[in-house]
Amino acid sequence: MAGKSSATPTTYSPSLSGQKKKRPSFLTDSDWVRPDGRGPHQCRPAFLRTGAVNSASGSAYAEFGNTKVIVSVFGPRESKKAMMYSDTGRLNCNVSYTTFATPIRGQAPETKDLSSMLHKALEGAIILKSFPKTTVDVFALVLESGGSDLPVITTCASLALADAGIMLYDMVASVSVSCIGKNLLIDPVSEEESYQDGSLMITCMPSRNEVTQMTVTGEWSTPKIHEAMQLCLDACSKLGKIMRSCLKEAASGPQD
Amino acid sequence: MASMGGPNDLSSEMELDAFRRLFPICFHERHLLESIRPDGRALGRARDTTLMLGAVASANGSALAKIGCTTMLAAIKLEVMTPTAEAPDEGCIAIDFHMPPICSPLVRPGRPAELAPVISKQLSDTILSSGMINLKDLCLVSGKAAWMAYLDIYCLDADGALFDAALLSAVAAFSHLQIPVVSFNDDGRIVLISDDNSGAMKEKEPVNKEKIKLKLNNLPFSLTCILHKNYILADPTSEEESIMETFLTVVLDSSFQLVSLNKPGGPGLAHTSSIQECITLTRQRVKEVQKILQEAISDMEVD
Repeated sequence: MAGKSSATPTTYSPSLSGQKKKRPSFLTDSDWVRPDGRGPHQCRPAFLRTGAVNSASGSAYAEFGNTKVIVSVFGPRESKKAMMYSDTGRLNCNVSYTTFATPIRGQAPETKDLSSMLHKALEGAIILKSFPKTTVDVFALVLESGGSDLPVITTCASLALADAGIMLYDMVASVSVSCIGKNLLIDPVSEEESYQDGSLMITCMPSRNEVTQMTVTGEWSTPKIHEAMQLCLDACSKLGKIMRSCLKEAASGPQD
Repeated sequence: MASMGGPNDLSSEMELDAFRRLFPICFHERHLLESIRPDGRALGRARDTTLMLGAVASANGSALAKIGCTTMLAAIKLEVMTPTAEAPDEGCIAIDFHMPPICSPLVRPGRPAELAPVISKQLSDTILSSGMINLKDLCLVSGKAAWMAYLDIYCLDADGALFDAALLSAVAAFSHLQIPVVSFNDDGRIVLISDDNSGAMKEKEPVNKEKIKLKLNNLPFSLTCILHKNYILADPTSEEESIMETFLTVVLDSSFQLVSLNKPGGPGLAHTSSIQECITLTRQRVKEVQKILQEAISDMEVD
């Protein structure tokens, strides 16, 4: 009988970091020193790998600092019977978190919101006319959430789509910028995101110079927005190059 | 007019992949006649197994297990609970097995896989009844506080033999588990003692002296075998599982005692001789897996 209780007992985590930290009041005017020692305009090193999941048509694993995401793409496969006929393809996205992704167990953010944003970000880049009547499913699992989750999920999803052979207009790269006081920090970690006054996320297709999604929250002045957008677009084009070299490596690797 | 000779006539004319899709049983039986399987393994051999401990840095114990392409990620997070009145000096373990939609084309979001709660319950029963963990080791202060270990296992890639990989990752995660040092703070709650605060916390008596590992006895390991006609195939892939539906899971512990035997029905019936043979195959497998686990543990300690 050991270990079984009829009702789930309430538990709490002994971790000190669980308690909400109060934002230091001096932040508004002073410089913010980043916990991982990066410069304010420096992104985390990106580790990207395709072919992570064998059962899927295409998949990718992305690790940006402490944010680790796996995305699997299935399809194009038959749409559900209830769906009406459509002469363009359909995209179905779903994001979920593991229970150990956040420091305190079970504190995952709203995944329906993230799923719908992922859908909107990728929709513009996929050539839906190339697979009429069928659906492409994009499923993401966040293994560890270390900040800037949605941009990493979007980038990883675009790699997975390319790995699956789905026709795309261009790769999709995504970066976000956090505003803390007078500092603009690119690719924020969770601690920075918890103190932020505002955030700006851009998802774009770097080679075509087209933006598929832009999200701005919080307080922003116009010159700040311009500066943040420029930062994001530069970072996205660099990220696009990294993604392409990852795909090239994957394509040429197994041939030896 | 050619008479309908069935698949045997077509095999010489059809492409291999098409034959494999259209006549899977015939395709596999052709291989079994030669005592081999489509991926080149002998009938009783399991796929390559790798283990990596400490895959999730934020968890108290974790492991990534791969058997062939089947990948399982297990992580243990410890939280504090009040022990029940009937067992005031015992902690608790909650085991949950998840199959997220990324792992297989058969799993849809919003509709959990049928297999997930079945494997979850099987794992729970196996781990708790094998006596691997003494729940009294999870006690902090008798009657007031005890550890609740949440073991979450995520299937990252489903390619057959899910129970075996899940059990292996769970056992490896428990081998890696380190219980942190905690003490009571002023509100009567248990808090972690972090290394930099150790000077300030000298007034607070730590409840346990140092980070300790759980003492594990009799680790359980398992092997799933498929019974098809008079063949026994060890460690099936998902393709083999989908066409040959009778399987038998044997769980032995490290002293080769039987922990559990599960044959969940199926169209094939098994003689006791087949069951004996499965147990023998499992015994060999236990030796292999114990070695792999030992290597993984010693790799961690070197770091």
